[in-house]
Amino acid sequence: MIEKVKVNSQRINISFTVNGEQQQLQVEATKRLVDILREDLSLTGAKISCEIGRCGACSVEVDGELVNSCLMRAYQLNGKSVYTVESLSENGLHDIQKAFLEEGGFQCGYCTPGMIMAVKTLLEKNKKPTDEEILDALSGNICRCTGYAGIIRSVKKVIQAI
Amino acid sequence: MADYTSNLASSRPRPDGMGKVTGALNYFTDLQFPNMLYGKVLRSEHPHAKIQQLNIEKAEQLPGVLAVITSKDVPGLNGFGLITQDQPVFCDQVVRYVGDAVAAVAAITPEIAERAIKRIEVTYEPLPIMDDPESAMNPDSTPLHSGGNILHEASYENGDVDEGFPLCDVIIEETYLLPRQMHAYMETEGGVFVPERDGRLSVYAGTQHGYKDRLQLARILNLSEERIRVISSPMGGSFGGKDELNIQPYGAILALKTGRPVKIHQSRRESMISGIKKHPMKITMKTGAKKTGEIVAHEVRIIADTGAYATLGPAVLDFAVEHAIGPYVIPNVKTKGYAVFTNNGVAGEFRGFGGNQITFALEGQIDRLADDLHMSPLKLRKKNLRQGTDPGPVGQMIAPTNGDSLVLDEITQSPLLALDKRDSDNPWKKTGVGVALTMHGGGLGFGRMDPSGGKISLNHEGKIEIAFGFEEVGQGLLAVIENITTEAIGCSSEDLHIVIGDTDKVPHSGSSTASRGTSMIWHSLQRLKGPFKEKLLDTAAKRSGYQKEQLCVGEKGIWLNGQRILTFEQLFLENEPISIDTKFDFPTTPNSIPGGHFLYSFAAVAVKVEVDLITGAIKVTDIDQAVSAGPVVNPNGYIGQIEGGTIMALGYTLLEEAAMQQSRYTTENFDTYILPTIQDIPPKMNVRAIEDLWEGDMYGPRGVGEIGTVALAPAIVRAIYDATGHWVTKLPVSREEILHAREMVF
Repeated sequence: MIEKVKVNSQRINISFTVNGEQQQLQVEATKRLVDILREDLSLTGAKISCEIGRCGACSVEVDGELVNSCLMRAYQLNGKSVYTVESLSENGLHDIQKAFLEEGGFQCGYCTPGMIMAVKTLLEKNKKPTDEEILDALSGNICRCTGYAGIIRSVKKVIQAI
Repeated sequence: MADYTSNLASSRPRPDGMGKVTGALNYFTDLQFPNMLYGKVLRSEHPHAKIQQLNIEKAEQLPGVLAVITSKDVPGLNGFGLITQDQPVFCDQVVRYVGDAVAAVAAITPEIAERAIKRIEVTYEPLPIMDDPESAMNPDSTPLHSGGNILHEASYENGDVDEGFPLCDVIIEETYLLPRQMHAYMETEGGVFVPERDGRLSVYAGTQHGYKDRLQLARILNLSEERIRVISSPMGGSFGGKDELNIQPYGAILALKTGRPVKIHQSRRESMISGIKKHPMKITMKTGAKKTGEIVAHEVRIIADTGAYATLGPAVLDFAVEHAIGPYVIPNVKTKGYAVFTNNGVAGEFRGFGGNQITFALEGQIDRLADDLHMSPLKLRKKNLRQGTDPGPVGQMIAPTNGDSLVLDEITQSPLLALDKRDSDNPWKKTGVGVALTMHGGGLGFGRMDPSGGKISLNHEGKIEIAFGFEEVGQGLLAVIENITTEAIGCSSEDLHIVIGDTDKVPHSGSSTASRGTSMIWHSLQRLKGPFKEKLLDTAAKRSGYQKEQLCVGEKGIWLNGQRILTFEQLFLENEPISIDTKFDFPTTPNSIPGGHFLYSFAAVAVKVEVDLITGAIKVTDIDQAVSAGPVVNPNGYIGQIEGGTIMALGYTLLEEAAMQQSRYTTENFDTYILPTIQDIPPKMNVRAIEDLWEGDMYGPRGVGEIGTVALAPAIVRAIYDATGHWVTKLPVSREEILHAREMVF
């Protein structure tokens, strides 16, 4: 079978947590976090769009910080704690998700997982962000559909409820 | 303080919402199939060249590569295009733009596919590049296609401009330059192609018209249409950009050749170079008015750079020509337009469909005339506005409407227009306001096949199944179907099973384009609801023994005097199917004007800008708009379309350009193609929906997918003039130009 092809990148063992669950994987050292999530762990919430860290569609939380998972590689993951959009609705919808549903915070939905993770990371650090802080925190996440107004309405709804 | 308001109440969450906010929804580019291969397309190295040699041997030899295909492997027609199939699936003699495909591979990993692509050897003989449509139009230029370089000419003439201009006291002549905008859907083109055990092919790839993809693929694959199933919804945005075929031919041929599922997902760079764009246009207008403000003559010349292949270039040009006088009455008009082939990126369908470009020029003329006439721009517009029963912009009969007057009156009340210019205490920041108006046709127009339809039935689970051949591209179509159906039938949303985007399951509804979806769903339900409810009640009467007249359709079943007597599930009987379908055409004008429209929507926009005289930056600080598009079906969807369309137009006006030099893109990703971020939007926006229609109008809600994108650019440019005294004629507005103008003005 020609299918057993050796990929000429060194494979390494990594140990990290994803959504609170311990993961031990053997992957190529340079494999991107977004590919590990989507291919090895079947977590397809993080999306691929620009692959250069400009659009935020692949945003996840790593050790409490918002990260473009297209820019992080396997060799940087050891001991890290990764949270993806899939973690938010484990026990019913998160308030941020409810607000996005009610206020029209999405349309095609492709940027939504990343956008919601950006909101989550912001609100974990700062429960009552100012407008300026909201804009700053979400400025790395591009949405082509909503014009962002619905997203801002959603974020404000969450903040008001806190 | 960020403040985004409207006169509409918020609506219930849309049916596809849960999957989207949880990340659980699978897009086609998320799908994995057992034994799946990865496909990749080799695009041209040159914008224009002869292919001298093409050698795929080294790629084929690479372990892990299962197929390398070229034009020799196309089973049927080596060409595609929505109207004219002039774009080769694979070029084998000449390449005409950098997105032209030469070969494709399928391999067991994306990395191997990438390496295989690099091993394909192509020898080119570069040919002279035609990057300027005006030179390409020259009869001496080398023709890119057998019919010459003018793909399409369109014109409209009324009265006599040569007699009109001498009567004018003021004449404005100006040339406007509009950029090549990219749709920039967040999900690039992609999907999975699966050969099925029964010999059929399943295509999981986003498009805006599943049946059209099926037809185009049938020609290319030399298969009957029935042997192809196109699953076309959902997708991560389209905005007109995925209506034409993109990766489908390659995935399909690779899958059939290898007998295995093949996934292709274009990188952003691949998407940029191969994807269609909005037409760059050069529009020259000469417009004259009398001292009284009466516009007498209007002469228009449009040159549209349509790139290397036709796709919908002719229709976009027709649309621009049609809308060249907008909602105004002008007795003497002469419009001439050309869509011209070049070696630049292919231009085609894009939200707004030529309306954005032509409206920018037209409204620019109106504003300049108002200025020269020392007249308020609103007053000048009002004075020349068409009346409710006047014909459409190319003299055609249209559904009577005073939407233009309603939105103009509404925007006249905008608090922005009462702006006190002294409100800025920073001498280096100048503020200004501007207003613009637009009228936008819906549907494909006269002479273009525009059938639609839908199907409603009671299924075995006791659900009311409502099916349309439309796609959910993000626009909120599912919510529209849910709202219109529940209202028409009287059932609840839980009773519904909505089926879209699958040629094995849906009726023909036409394309999810041209602001036609909402309108066609409403028209379908008007036709379906009577006979369907009748059948339900007939069956219920038979089953229950009550008189049909006593019964009504309600939540979860059939009701009698406020009590449910039968559930929908109880009504279902295998041998007595309850099913109704309908077929009809999108209403068009009876006048034989190619592409002439019958139904229009309207918008008026007021904006406030702040011009930074130190950096040249333009900040839009407030947008107020009034929209007339009939009754609102889904408030969140409506507001979202207008707000989202508006910000896409803000990008068009201030930031975005898929620039090319020598027919090569100088921008290939979001680091240099600058999209609006959340920091670029105005802190305040207001949307006012005017739902009134002309008395007796029977055409229901119009779509709002495009109307929010049209009038913003001219309003911003007017506001910049108001702030600085400088007229911008080229988009996107350049900071350098503003700084240069500052030197000239102050």
